[in-house]
Amino acid sequence: MIKVENVKKAFGPVTVLDGVNLVVNPGEVVSILGSSGSGKSTLIRCINGLEKLNAGRITVDDFDVSKPKDLAEARKRSGTVFQLFNLYPHMTALQNITLAPVEVLKRPRAEAEAEGRALLASVGLGDRADAYSSQLSGGQRQRVGICRALAMKPRYLLLDEVTSALDPEMTAEVLDILAKLAAGGTTMVFVTHEIEFARQISSRIVFLEKGKLLVDLPTAEFFAETGGLAQPRVAQFLSKMRKD
Amino acid sequence: MRYAEFTPFDLVLLAQGLGVTVGLFLATTLIGLFLGALWGVIRFYRTPVLTQFITFVAEILKNSPVLVQLFLVFFGFPAFFKLNMTPVNAAVITLSLNTAAFVYVIAVSSIESIGRDQVEAARVFGLTRWQVLRHVIAPQALAFSIGPLTALLVNQLQVTSLISVIGVMDLAKIGANLNLRTLQPFIVWTVVGVLYYLAAKLVATLGARLEKRLRAHSAFRGL
Repeated sequence: MIKVENVKKAFGPVTVLDGVNLVVNPGEVVSILGSSGSGKSTLIRCINGLEKLNAGRITVDDFDVSKPKDLAEARKRSGTVFQLFNLYPHMTALQNITLAPVEVLKRPRAEAEAEGRALLASVGLGDRADAYSSQLSGGQRQRVGICRALAMKPRYLLLDEVTSALDPEMTAEVLDILAKLAAGGTTMVFVTHEIEFARQISSRIVFLEKGKLLVDLPTAEFFAETGGLAQPRVAQFLSKMRKD
Repeated sequence: MRYAEFTPFDLVLLAQGLGVTVGLFLATTLIGLFLGALWGVIRFYRTPVLTQFITFVAEILKNSPVLVQLFLVFFGFPAFFKLNMTPVNAAVITLSLNTAAFVYVIAVSSIESIGRDQVEAARVFGLTRWQVLRHVIAPQALAFSIGPLTALLVNQLQVTSLISVIGVMDLAKIGANLNLRTLQPFIVWTVVGVLYYLAAKLVATLGARLEKRLRAHSAFRGL
């Protein structure tokens, strides 16, 4: 279980997270919606320990990410996929995937490579194992990014606007894979602007506004007139996004 | 002393001088690379006090003439601290530290040229600072730094000629001796110059070859 308790985070004078509470149970797919600057990405970066909290507590399976000793364990349980892929450009797709399993989990290289190849094949990149990131398209890069996260066998997958840098076709490539993962029971925290997709795969939807968690509802209720849409800000956001 | 003609033995002298120059260059390069890289790593770990101290020392070494540093190490410190200092030791100490200072600058800037995003990705997957340095930063930083390092080393090779003034029998000193004996400055300094050129060219060529290999992943494939 990922537990976010009353988390506050400010960058200098700018408050980005202002008392956020969130619980993600195993098996859930929780999508986080909200306009740019609402704190979605920062929330992900707090969960995986890239940002220090100003107040509050985040635990991943009871490991407190603010404690250096616990952070390593917490990180082993969550895998992150980044908006801009963040692949290591000097390594091939396969090397990107096997680095952490070999170095952090101390898996035998041959085993890690076999698994890495299987993962690449499962996302349709079986023949690109030896390609560098500069030789891959954006969609292919992000699929490698997903494989890299999955190779660590995380209990929770943290996805930070993973399709924002991709065109619609490439977005579809990536979303297809996420849909499969969701159907397979992978727990996900999914920061996104893909509202329709979020609606299809999420068990719950959370709406962030100016660092505060405005709505946290099961998906069906979130899109119901009496549920999330009863919130004027949510209704306004959804209608704007749908027009685009 | 009366002047004398060139003899075949002069070639041996020149070869010996070249040997001393190349030997000193290689030794000071290895020490300089090691020290400079080590200082860069210390800075990467943001070690307090030590980092500031290293930056300060590097500042001084970069911004003062090598000749002055050489005189300080050969004449100044031994006189002040009552030490014995041979010309070769003074040359090795001075050139190594000087190379290290510039290697440090190159190391720092190439480490900092690696995108924060990659470091974050590696940290998120649980790699330690050392593992990030070794597997993500160092290979790329090395590829970036080969160009400036090659330029630096070509320059440091020429700078070794300064040690002739404290009596090390390097190529420049042999040249000076041959010149005094033969009174043929044009021939002597042309030959010495060509030998320096060939040695420098070799360094530059090896550097370029290494760079090409290390940057294979980001090789320019045209627009």
